[in-house]
Amino acid sequence: MNAVDATDRGAVQQDVEPPSLLTIILDTNPHAWALLADSLPLSKVVANLLVFINAHVAINHANRVAVIASHSERAEWLYPTPTQPRQQHDQANGATHDGDGERADVHPPNDANKYRPFAQLEHALVTNLRRLMTTTTAPSLSTSPATLLAGALTRALAYISKQTAALPTATTSTQFNYSDPSSSTAAGGNDLNTDPTKAHTTLGLTSRILVVSVSGDLADKYIEIMNAIFACQRLSIPIDVLKLAGDPVFLQQAADTTGGIYMHLATPQARAGFLQYLMFAYLPDQTARENLIMPAGEGEGVDFRAACFCHKRIVDVGFVCSICLSIFCEPLADGTCLLCGSHLSMGNYGRNPAVVPKRKKGKGKKRALDSGADTPAGSGGEGTPAPG
Amino acid sequence: MTSTASQRALDYLEQLPGTTFTKLYQQPSTALAIFRRMLPHLAKTLVMAILYMPTPLSVSDLETWVKPDHESLQARDRALSILQRLRILFDTHDAAGRAAYKLSDAFARSLRLALTGGGNHRSFGVPCSTPDKTPVSIDYLDTFARKQWEAILYYVVGSASAGLGAEVDISAGTKQLLQKGEFVAMRGRTAHITQAGFTFLLQEINAQIWTLLIVYLEVSSSLQMDPVDVLSFLFTLGSLELGISYSTSNLTPTQQQMLEDLADFGLVYRRTSDDAADRYYPTRLATTLTSDAPALPNASLTSTATGMTTGGAGGASAPQNEKGYIIVETNYRLYAYTSSPLPISILSLFATLHTRYPNLITAKITKSSIHAAITAGITSDQIITYLTTHAHPILRRQQPVLPPTVVDQIRLWQIEGERMTAWRGYLIRDVGSAEEYEKAVAYAEALGVLRKEFKAKGSFFVTRMDQMSGYFKAQAVRKREAIAQREAEARGGGGGAGRK
Amino acid sequence: MPRAIAGVLVECDPSIKAILVKIDTEHHHDFIIEEIDDEHLLIKSNKHEDLKQLLRDALKDTVREAEDSSESD
Repeated sequence: MNAVDATDRGAVQQDVEPPSLLTIILDTNPHAWALLADSLPLSKVVANLLVFINAHVAINHANRVAVIASHSERAEWLYPTPTQPRQQHDQANGATHDGDGERADVHPPNDANKYRPFAQLEHALVTNLRRLMTTTTAPSLSTSPATLLAGALTRALAYISKQTAALPTATTSTQFNYSDPSSSTAAGGNDLNTDPTKAHTTLGLTSRILVVSVSGDLADKYIEIMNAIFACQRLSIPIDVLKLAGDPVFLQQAADTTGGIYMHLATPQARAGFLQYLMFAYLPDQTARENLIMPAGEGEGVDFRAACFCHKRIVDVGFVCSICLSIFCEPLADGTCLLCGSHLSMGNYGRNPAVVPKRKKGKGKKRALDSGADTPAGSGGEGTPAPG
Repeated sequence: MTSTASQRALDYLEQLPGTTFTKLYQQPSTALAIFRRMLPHLAKTLVMAILYMPTPLSVSDLETWVKPDHESLQARDRALSILQRLRILFDTHDAAGRAAYKLSDAFARSLRLALTGGGNHRSFGVPCSTPDKTPVSIDYLDTFARKQWEAILYYVVGSASAGLGAEVDISAGTKQLLQKGEFVAMRGRTAHITQAGFTFLLQEINAQIWTLLIVYLEVSSSLQMDPVDVLSFLFTLGSLELGISYSTSNLTPTQQQMLEDLADFGLVYRRTSDDAADRYYPTRLATTLTSDAPALPNASLTSTATGMTTGGAGGASAPQNEKGYIIVETNYRLYAYTSSPLPISILSLFATLHTRYPNLITAKITKSSIHAAITAGITSDQIITYLTTHAHPILRRQQPVLPPTVVDQIRLWQIEGERMTAWRGYLIRDVGSAEEYEKAVAYAEALGVLRKEFKAKGSFFVTRMDQMSGYFKAQAVRKREAIAQREAEARGGGGGAGRK
Repeated sequence: MPRAIAGVLVECDPSIKAILVKIDTEHHHDFIIEEIDDEHLLIKSNKHEDLKQLLRDALKDTVREAEDSSESD
C-alpha cells in the first residue's frame, strides 16, 4: 500500500540536547561570609543554590551536578560525597539547614512530597557542608584568611575529565552508537578539541563551572589558578563567576578567557535577587546559550593584571622570563629565573623601547642581569630579560 | 519534543481541554515531568527564568534576550508555541501595559514545589514505611520487566509470521489494547501485524512504551477512567526510584485499577499474595518514562529489550552480547548470533532467512525482502537503525558500522518506489500584499508548520492551522486599528499630523 | 482576508502528476481540489488512500519492474 507514497518516511527529527555537567565551586571562606551576614547569609545562599541545582537537574534527566567547597585551608567535596554515596551516620540530626529548623526530621527516603533525587542531593550537600563547618577549627581560620580556589578548580577539572571520559563508553546509546568507543573520546571533548560546536553534534557531556565567590585576594595561588583557567579554555569549559563580595582580579579574567559569565552583585539589593540572577543568567547551559544573548561581562573593563611569581604582588608592568614566561615584579638579583633556572641577562630596561635587537645573538651571553637595569644605552636592545 | 515518543505524548496532551491541564498541573510530579520531557531546551530555560520572577516577562525583554539570528528566532518561536499549546505560558500585560508572558499559576506553583519540596501533595510516590519481608532485587525487576515487555513485542511480531508465532502468554487486556492501537488486526481468530505494528516494533523501547501508553490513555477515557488520574499516575511513576517498594494506600481507585494493567506491561511489579498486596515496585521501564532513554547511564534495558536472551541462554556473557549480535557483510549476507525467537522474527521482517543453527541464523537482505518491508510500512531508516543498534562488536570496531554499500542500497530500494509524498494540512491563499505574505510565511516557518510555499501563486501550505489563524486574526485587528488611526488622522487634518 | 483550504498536499514528479490528473478526470474530478504547479497538487483529505491505491494500480500497468517484488499486505 505504501510503496508509492513516501509520506511516513520523512527523516525523524532527533535533536536531543547533550547532557550537561554543572560544577559549582562555593567559596565557604568564613571570614568573607561573616562580612556578608547582614545582607546575604550563607544559609540563604545554600538554600537558593539548592533550588538552582534542582532546576539544573530538572532540565535534563542526564544532567549532573557537582559541588565543591573552596574552604579557607582546603577544598572539600560537598556533592557527590566522595567516599560513600551517602553518609548515614549523622542523618538523624544532620538533615537540617543552617538556621532552618523546620526540616529537622526530614528523612529523605520517606518524603513523598519531594522528588527523590532532589531530596538525596540536598541531604548530601547539607550534611557535608555541616561537617565541613564543624571540623573547621579556630586556629586554622586564623592562619588562613583566604580561600583555596585553586584547589577547588583543579578538583573540578579532574572531576569533569573523569565524567566526560566515562560517559560515552557507559552509554553506547541505542540511537547514536555511530560513535563507537574509538571515536567517542573525541565526542567527550577530551582531546583538547577547542571547537565547541563539534561536541554538540554527538551526545557528549557539556560541562561548565560556576564559581560563587566572596573572597578577595587570590594572588597567593596565581599560577595554579591561571593554569586551571587555561586548562578550562582548552577543554572549552566556561567558568561562570558570580561574585558577591571582594575583588578577585583573576576570576574576571577566568570568565573572560573561557567565555563564561561574570557578574558582581555589589549592592544589598542586587544580592537580594540572588536566586533570580542564578535562574536567569547562570542556568542556561551551553546549548541554550547558543540562542541567547548572555550578560556580557564588563567587556573591555576586564582587569588583565597578573601577579608576580616572586612576591605574589599584582603588577601592572613586570619582568618576564623569556624561557618560561614567569612574571617577576623586580629584576632578579642573580639573573637566574626562579622557576626554570635559566640564566637571564638584562638589557637597558626603561631606556629604549623593545625593538628588534641590532646586535648578533651570541653577544649578550653570560652577562649578569643586574648590570642591565641602568647600563647606558647602546649595549643591548632587549627590554625583557634574554636567555643567558 | 526530544524524540518521536514525546512527540506522540505531546500530540495527545495537546488535544486535552484546558481544564484538564489545570487539574494536571496541580501535581508537582506532573509539572516536573512535563517540564522535563515535553519542552524543547530553550523553553525550559525560559520557564526557569520566569519561574521566580515577580512580574510577567515583557515581550520586548524576551526579544532582547534571544539572539537575533534566524536559528535562534526559530527556536524561540517554537519554544513559545509549545509552551502555549501545553497551556504553560499565557499572554498578559505587564504593569506598563506592554504585552508580556506569564506562566500558568498552577504550573508555576507546582514546579516551584517540585524544586523546593514541601507541600502535602504526595505526588512523588509514598514509599512503604515497613521493609518488605521478601525484598525484590533490581536484577529481578529488570528480568521481570524484560520478560513482560518482550512477551508483548513477541505477540506483535509473532502475528507477522505464523510459523514462528509460538504460544505467547499476554493478558487479554493487553491483546485488546494492541488491537485498539492498531498494532495488530484480527482477521478471523488470528492476529495480523499492521503497519503501525511494524513501526512500533522497530522503535526504541522508551518510544514503544509511550506509544502503548498513549493508546492506553485513549482507551481509558472511554472506560470512564479519569485521564487526569491516569496521566498523573504515569508521571508519578516516572519520578519513582528503582528498587524501592511504594505503598498503594494513597492511590485513587482508578490508579489501583491501572496497577494491574501496568503490571501486565512490566512497568510495575507487585505480588498478589495478601501481605504484599499494598506495595508495588516500579521497574526500570517505569522509572525511565520521563527521561530520555539514550542518555541514561545504565540503560541496559533500552538496548536489550529487543535484544537476544531473556536472561537464560546468554548466561554470564549476556551483558556484552546483548548489545549486538548481527553481522552484515558487503554481499548483503547477514549472520545473527541468536537463538531467541523475538530477534529472529524481527529480522524476518526485512531479510530472507536461510539457515538456522543452534546459535546462529543466516539470512540475506534482498530487494524483495526490503520491498516487502517497505510495503508493510517499515522505513529504510528503521531497518538501518535496527541493524546498527544490534551490530556485533566486530562490526562496531569499524567506522561506519554497517557496510556503506548495503546501507545505500537499502535506501535506494526504498526511494525507487517512491512516487509521491503527501502532507495533510491547509493551503493558505489570498494573504494580501507581498509583504504580508512574506511575513506570514516567515511566521509559519518559525512555528515549524510550513511545508511548502508557492510564491508564484501567492499561497503556502501548513500542517497546523490553529496558531496560524490566531496570527491572521491578530494581523487583521492590527490592520483595522492602523486604518482607523489613519482615518482619525485624516479627519484631524493638519492638527493631527504631528502624532504618530 | 486570507483563506485556508483543508486538504492533502501531494508532491510528485510531473509524470506522476499527469497520471494523477488522468485518474482524477476518470473519476469525475473527485480527487483534486487544486493543481498548484507542475509538481504539487492539493487533493481532498478523505480521498488520499483511494488515490494511492489507484496510482499503484496504474503504475503496475505502465512501469515494468525488473524483478517482481512488492506484494501488497
